[in-house]
Amino acid sequence: MSLHEPSQADLYGDGITLRNYAEIWNDPFYVTIILRTLRTTFFIVVTALVVGYAAAYTITRIKSRWRVILLVVLLFPPMVTNVVRAYGWIALLGRQGVLNTTLMSAGLTSHPISILYTFDAVVIGLMTILLPFMIVSIANSLNTIEQTYGEAAASLGAGPVRTFLHVTLPLSTPGITSGVLLVFLLSLGAYVTIALLGGPRQKLLVSLVYDAVISFQWPRAAALSFVLLAIALFGAGLIQMTLRPSRISGRG
Amino acid sequence: MKPLSLALPVLTGLAYLVTIGPIAMVVLIAFSPDDFFEFPPTGWSLRWFEEFFRLESMRAAFSLSILLALGAATLSTAFSAMAALWVVRHPGWWSGLVQGLFLAPLIFPAIILGVALLLFYKQLGIPVLPGLIIGHVLVGLPYSFRVILVSLHSYDLTQEEASASLGAGPLRTFLLITLPQIWPGVIAGWFFAFIESFGNINISLFLSGPGLATLPVEIFAYLQFQGSRLVIAAASALQILLILVLLIIFGQLIGVDRVARTR
Repeated sequence: MSLHEPSQADLYGDGITLRNYAEIWNDPFYVTIILRTLRTTFFIVVTALVVGYAAAYTITRIKSRWRVILLVVLLFPPMVTNVVRAYGWIALLGRQGVLNTTLMSAGLTSHPISILYTFDAVVIGLMTILLPFMIVSIANSLNTIEQTYGEAAASLGAGPVRTFLHVTLPLSTPGITSGVLLVFLLSLGAYVTIALLGGPRQKLLVSLVYDAVISFQWPRAAALSFVLLAIALFGAGLIQMTLRPSRISGRG
Repeated sequence: MKPLSLALPVLTGLAYLVTIGPIAMVVLIAFSPDDFFEFPPTGWSLRWFEEFFRLESMRAAFSLSILLALGAATLSTAFSAMAALWVVRHPGWWSGLVQGLFLAPLIFPAIILGVALLLFYKQLGIPVLPGLIIGHVLVGLPYSFRVILVSLHSYDLTQEEASASLGAGPLRTFLLITLPQIWPGVIAGWFFAFIESFGNINISLFLSGPGLATLPVEIFAYLQFQGSRLVIAAASALQILLILVLLIIFGQLIGVDRVARTR
């Protein structure tokens, strides 16, 4: 459908054309948005990886039954719909939000600072909504690493940092890969969070797909969907190739 | 090592704060007694929950969401169980393809599935409600399929042959031999399909029609156009509490660690 001419009356016109793709490619607005999407997604994935790895590492080193409890607690937020979780961030970050009223009553600022509807709000919102996926993926992977490997490295004279870099980190690449993949793919498609926290000015590629659909530009919507899908598949391939999770099982 | 041993717990605490915090916030707002939320809260009341059930559109959205999730989860689980059993019984190229197809919606950006379904329905002229049901069944499939498939790994297929050789028909074998052994997987699969359908927005957003909006779509519409109304918080809190109750029930039913493993 993305190859068809737009039509007023029907879903698409009769002619076959590459115009819908050419328009996306030649319009600086679309190119800006695509670049912004890539930048935002990259930023979210990297932040989620750092925070997520730290959390997963801490949780898996707990010996008691608290480990299971802490992991189960993390399963709950992803079950709550993204709309509700974005609403929580609106209540926290908005002009009349908790953060602003607290800062103002503490006398730290005289007028509300605007975070909502900025780039930061989108990154904070998406990152925190997707963070549990990263933590659970990495924790699952860390759980399968034998404690004795670390002890072996230590007995051979490696310090904790060296052990981590040469033993734990490489062995947890399958978890890192699946966490990074999940966060990457989910952040590309998270229309609702971006719309609610970014407002009309912080649009990403997925917002344009939605806009094209509600303005009935079907061929445009289909073409944009394909661009989004291409980015998703290409990115996923790139992540797989860079991290090479199958390395540690002796394949590849 | 000193800064690192401090950074780890701090980052972990932060991770829990930013994932749980917004949800706790919403529940707190829902019990607010004022017209607009004030922090710290001045007291608590149930007035926004009363308001929620007074609003026709909210009530309709709530019951649609629950009925849709019940129906879609049951259908997804039935299809997934059949597909998973078939895959286990017929290993080979075809079963790999079926597995790929059932898990594909996981990798697709969900919104593309929504757009694709909308365009597909428009061409075939499928009405809103059946379209919504089909969409929600698709959303649940990968989750229920994966969980049921995992539970079949420890299941010994030769028992079915034994049962058949003793004269039991396929249905009798399924009910008396297969189902009793894989039911925790089936229940867990149903639970995840229910949760996925109940919270789905990316697909419902496109497939909802006039008078047929699910609860997340209704909350989303309110947030975009009348964001300051606290009845949204009550709607959100109901969503949160229902999931929490379900999670506790199913955690008890099939074991907490199974829930932890299957995600």
